[in-house]
Amino acid sequence: MIPFIASESASPVDVQLLTLGTTIVVFVVFLLLAMKFVWPQILKGLDQRDEKLRGDLEAAEEARQQAKSALAEYEQELLSARTEAGEMIAKARNDAKAAAEELRENNTRELAELKKAAATDIESAKKAAISDLHAEASTLAVAIASKVLGRELSATDQQSLVDESLAELTRSSK
Amino acid sequence: MFTFIASNNPIHHILDKPISGVEHITLFGKPVFTTHMASLLLAAIVTFVVLKIAAKRIAIGHESEGTNRYLTNGRIPQIIEVVTLYLRDNVIQPVLGHETKKFLPFLLSIFYFILTCNILGMIPFADVQVVVGKVGFGQETDWAVFGGTATSNLAVTAGLAIVSFFVIQMHAFKSLGIGGWAHHLTGGAPLYLLPIMLPIEFMGMFIKPGALAIRLFANMVAGHTMLAVLTMFGMMAYEGTQNWLLTGSIEAISTIAAVCISFLELFVAFLQSFIFMFLTTVFIGQMSHHDEHEEHAEAATS
Repeated sequence: MIPFIASESASPVDVQLLTLGTTIVVFVVFLLLAMKFVWPQILKGLDQRDEKLRGDLEAAEEARQQAKSALAEYEQELLSARTEAGEMIAKARNDAKAAAEELRENNTRELAELKKAAATDIESAKKAAISDLHAEASTLAVAIASKVLGRELSATDQQSLVDESLAELTRSSK
Repeated sequence: MFTFIASNNPIHHILDKPISGVEHITLFGKPVFTTHMASLLLAAIVTFVVLKIAAKRIAIGHESEGTNRYLTNGRIPQIIEVVTLYLRDNVIQPVLGHETKKFLPFLLSIFYFILTCNILGMIPFADVQVVVGKVGFGQETDWAVFGGTATSNLAVTAGLAIVSFFVIQMHAFKSLGIGGWAHHLTGGAPLYLLPIMLPIEFMGMFIKPGALAIRLFANMVAGHTMLAVLTMFGMMAYEGTQNWLLTGSIEAISTIAAVCISFLELFVAFLQSFIFMFLTTVFIGQMSHHDEHEEHAEAATS
């Protein structure tokens, strides 16, 4: 058996002053050494790590905010560009429509003018032709009449004969 | 465990013993060198060395290491870092506020020191030495130079509580001044209650650290006594029955129970070191100038 400090009657609540003093000395020495060589290093490391984490978190938050505002700005620009493009397309469509309409009107007008000019030309040609025909017919009729009658017709006879012939020709042509 | 080897009294397991070979050196009839003193010294050395290694790992490295310099390598340093951070940010800081930095080294030191004492007490160093002495060297008596749970010694826990007491009172004098300290003794009570309040508050000054010492001591004694009793069941069964089969069965069951209780003891080792540190923090906080006013204002309103 180990020679115990106390015998069988020893109690765990007996306080040995020597042990108590040793405890205080050992702990105080340990505390002083730890305060000198351990805790400054550990606590400084923890503080630096805290600062690093806090700095990184703040930087990340700032970057997130910047990205968020950039995205909002981009979306805004995209929206305005889309609106502008829509307006441009609508304007171009309207312009094209107006141009086509104008072109169509011009064509119609020109066509009408051409048609009218052609009708006028035809009428003029018709009148000229009829006039030429009248002159030719009268000359021919005088020549024929002269030969039939054997004499020269006076200017008055000639004119009345022409007129009658023409009147008759006109009736027969209808 | 001494009892497992040689004793039939479970209390012997937690009693302090003189260091083998120097039993004859005494002072006032008491041995000068005991196993608990040796364990205490060992705990201080182990705590310092482990914390020093952890400090080197926790400290921020050189810039050439890149982002790796912010990493703590090693499991024990990582555990120490996490525990220290938790204690600082979630336990001490909320109680002490701006005075945290001043008391952090003391509070963390006392926590880790008690924790190491408690954990070293879980390892049966003394039993191993007794077995080695008897089997290896043919010692007739139990031979051990260190071992046992230092914190199961009331003198050890009282010594730690005395250190806490001085820290608390020195802070009180510094923070409150003599007048404030004396006023604090009244507990903010009306004048006609002073004859009651003064003795109560004065005794409270000593009872608070006294309770710290007794709580830690009692928990360690209870756990280790229970372990000793459990491991002794087999021997008791053999002495009673002389039946090896019955003895083996009882020993098997009691060993399983002892293993389970050991896990509980491991938890208690952490819990009690935390409680000692936490209550010391609370007592320091109560003596702070800021808290003193709040406490009195609370008392006046209630």
